[in-house]
Amino acid sequence: MAAVQDGPMELDAEKEAKPEILSDGTSNLSGNTASGTLSSSPLTAAPAGGAPKMEDQQTLIAVLQFLKRNKLSESVEILRREAGLGEHQEGSQATDGSGGGKGDGDGGDANSLLSRVSITSAAAPQSMPVKKDQPDVSVVLSAYSQQGDPPLYQVYYSGLKNFIESVLDCHRAELSQLFYPLFVHMYLELVYNNHETEAKAFFDKFSGDQECYYQDDLHILCGLTKKEHLKGNEVLLDFRTSRFVLHISRDSYQLLKRHLQERHNNQIWNIIQEHLYIDIFDGMPRSKSQIDSMSGSLAGEAKREVNKAKVFYGLLKEPEIEVPLDDEDDEAENEEGKPKKKKTKKDSLGSKSKKQDPNAPQQNRIPLPELKDSDKLDKIMYMKESTKRIRLGPENLPSICFYTFLNAFQGLTAVDFTDDSSLLAGGFADSTVRVWSVTPKKLRKVKSAGELNVIEKESDDVLERIMDEKTASESKILHGHSGPVYGVSFSPDRNYLLSSSEDGTVRLWSLQTFTCLVGYKGHNYPVWDTHFSPFGYYFVSGGHDRVARLWATDHYQPLRIFAGHLADVTCTRFHPNSNYVATGSTDRTVRLWDVLNANCVRILTGHKGPIHSLAFSPNGKFLASGSTDGRVLLWDIGHGLMIGELKGHTDTIYALKFSRDGEILASGSMDNTVRLWDSMKAFDEVETDDFTATTGHIHLPDNSQELLLGMYHSKSTPVTHLHFTRRNLLLAAGAYNSQ
Amino acid sequence: MASPKTVPKDAQVMMQILKDMGITEYDPRVINQMLEFTYRYVTTIIEDAKIYSTHAKKSNVDADDIRLAIQCRVDQSFTSPPPRDFLLDIARQKNQTPLPLIKPYTGPRLPPDRYCLTAPNYRLKFLQKKVSSSVGRITVPRLSVGAVSSRPSTPTLGTPSVQTVGTKVGTPVSLTGQRFTVQIPSSQTLTVRSKAPTPTTPTVQNVLINPSLMGSKNILITTNMVSQNSSSDSTSLKRKHEDEDDYDAL
Repeated sequence: MAAVQDGPMELDAEKEAKPEILSDGTSNLSGNTASGTLSSSPLTAAPAGGAPKMEDQQTLIAVLQFLKRNKLSESVEILRREAGLGEHQEGSQATDGSGGGKGDGDGGDANSLLSRVSITSAAAPQSMPVKKDQPDVSVVLSAYSQQGDPPLYQVYYSGLKNFIESVLDCHRAELSQLFYPLFVHMYLELVYNNHETEAKAFFDKFSGDQECYYQDDLHILCGLTKKEHLKGNEVLLDFRTSRFVLHISRDSYQLLKRHLQERHNNQIWNIIQEHLYIDIFDGMPRSKSQIDSMSGSLAGEAKREVNKAKVFYGLLKEPEIEVPLDDEDDEAENEEGKPKKKKTKKDSLGSKSKKQDPNAPQQNRIPLPELKDSDKLDKIMYMKESTKRIRLGPENLPSICFYTFLNAFQGLTAVDFTDDSSLLAGGFADSTVRVWSVTPKKLRKVKSAGELNVIEKESDDVLERIMDEKTASESKILHGHSGPVYGVSFSPDRNYLLSSSEDGTVRLWSLQTFTCLVGYKGHNYPVWDTHFSPFGYYFVSGGHDRVARLWATDHYQPLRIFAGHLADVTCTRFHPNSNYVATGSTDRTVRLWDVLNANCVRILTGHKGPIHSLAFSPNGKFLASGSTDGRVLLWDIGHGLMIGELKGHTDTIYALKFSRDGEILASGSMDNTVRLWDSMKAFDEVETDDFTATTGHIHLPDNSQELLLGMYHSKSTPVTHLHFTRRNLLLAAGAYNSQ
Repeated sequence: MASPKTVPKDAQVMMQILKDMGITEYDPRVINQMLEFTYRYVTTIIEDAKIYSTHAKKSNVDADDIRLAIQCRVDQSFTSPPPRDFLLDIARQKNQTPLPLIKPYTGPRLPPDRYCLTAPNYRLKFLQKKVSSSVGRITVPRLSVGAVSSRPSTPTLGTPSVQTVGTKVGTPVSLTGQRFTVQIPSSQTLTVRSKAPTPTTPTVQNVLINPSLMGSKNILITTNMVSQNSSSDSTSLKRKHEDEDDYDAL
């Protein structure tokens, strides 16, 4: 045992000498790094390898052959003695090690090894069927040759390109998915191994072939020509280490495999095995449009099993509240006017609640704050208002009231409304947060302590008396951040305001005193968005450090860290039942996280640009996301599938909101328009369709035009935020852009 | 944008770089800012490299010095976010602990005081008072407690001697985080001002209030004079009469 274990050490020493003998300076680096990988795990590319001992033996054999070939007999002796191998063992081990069905003897092994490892010879390696599930000596040593043959990368790539262009149409679309990840990985490998000129030539030749939606990435790659450039770029490092996921049908995959093994293109095969994850499905190959709709993200698509976890997308039960029936609404009107999302009961009647919705989480799945008296009063107000709610639909579009920020030279970067639309907060690039009162009622802060002392505490209107009338004003300015404020969020009880900024902190402000209460430090990099939970107490923030964090207002450290995105987290939203958090990121995926254990339960790909807006439908079943590519994508959370695509906007969509009953989706974008879409229709069509739930490949109807209910231009004001009041009036906010 | 002919060569290079990176729309001042940054960065690196090369007793600055200079600066100014495996690791640790239960009926839920920004971050050196012009005003003995608790709702202070005050956070003036000022007007009429160096009347009582709310810091009650109309001068009420030597340093 000991002998075998010592073997690899000796091997490493030998191996480090070998590349020098082969007299190629550039491969020195590769030799060293490769020996590192050898000592850790020789077969990075062969997942279902044999026992590690077997692999070590094989490596030993291979080295012995090599030494013999080069007539280094003394080294051969030493190695043989140290490794405890006998003459006979080599032969048997070789045949054992070469796995089944190959029938190559030692000579064949050595030949293939030699040809692979020698860098000067441009001869293609001999036929050595490299099966994915068989450990192979050649595969072991191919680690060394991965970085070799820089000029041949172009040859390999064009070879693959020619092959793919020659296959049947139905397979071509699927196999074309390979181009982009292969291109990037080959380029990065060339850069990583300091072959700058070859990398540039490779890039110039093949970058034009890539899909148009990868152009932004290619711009970034274009500027990366040296290994040092890679060092600080976490996104690309993550790309290199994570596996790009592709969905390919079994037929296409067989074609590809056969070709690569025929052509002895082990280079490409190696890259495929190491950097790509090919999710094979049985069925019809997908069409180009299907593939295009799902691809675009930095990590490819999502593996199918990732999107299979159960998600409790139902809403939590509404608590029982006695509504005083002292106003003019009849009960009949109440029943009719109730919004659809209240699946449970009519509070005024006090009837029994329905059974637990199987799709809804348990009430106590995550701890939620209790309902205070003020919250109960709020709920009663809410229900009263909801009776007066306008029912929207294609025939009955909402009125839109646009709040334009004039002379916002400070640079408006974030806006939020309270749920009852009484307050409006704006975050600015000059690091202030300003709060306005939307109603005629002015903003008042609580009196100072001395004044509070003299008021009558037992009077009925004590809550009015504690407010300071003298400093009442339309708006208040909150100073505290030291960088532009990129996200603002009101708490549901209107007591607090959160703001997240480029200085890396999230600040909690009191709306009673208009001062800052807490600064939550955790992200050390700009925090792009923050959002309060619909029940208060929890909030989520996402930033440049590629994670989203879940906080509670009374903990100075985050409770959960949602790590997994490959690039900045630009948008964070809570699900209406507060059990899940959706995050959109610059890596062009949307992920859904479970608050309970921070597992990523859904990965949704399909956007072609960073995602800047997310909206959950009020019934919790659907999610809408908008990005810089101008498309709004609709997702079914339960199945994890894309169910709709709304095209029409020409610029980044920064605002998305569903109406209170979920019938209309409003989207606002930088192209100065607000568009209204018929979400009812979009979701209805889905429910009658037959999901291909196993493969997750759905054919999207191109019905954006039918779903578009209205498009409204503003006069050169990009739309930053949208909000439906409780009565379904649409409020929009943006800063007037005079250019 | 200025026409390329009148634009200096460096700026033309910068415009070309922006174009290559795919940035087509930008303010004209962006070029100036980028040039400034480039100049500053390059000169910093070259200066550092010069220092390293003289330290290594080389006559010229060579590529290794530059490389070293860049590396040192990168770790200092252009930090990048932590790598993915590190993030996954700390995420795994953080996510194992279950979500903490929420105690009901605890008022506003905020972290412990030392993690909040609710404490005033200054204290005044002395309490200034001046005789007010309206001597004839009747002063009403009044107990004003300026307490800084981090709870915007109305907590009781837990001591019978001090009246409950609905203290809201954000009484920003002159109170240290754990001190109360109780100003009991004495027979004189005095207006408290911040500038005059005269000390107040000698009736200063230091009373230790139950420190349970405020941790282990001492809570001082000083009696002081306050006139009726000083409420308009909101700063004066909360002024603490303090002889520095008597009290613990904060």
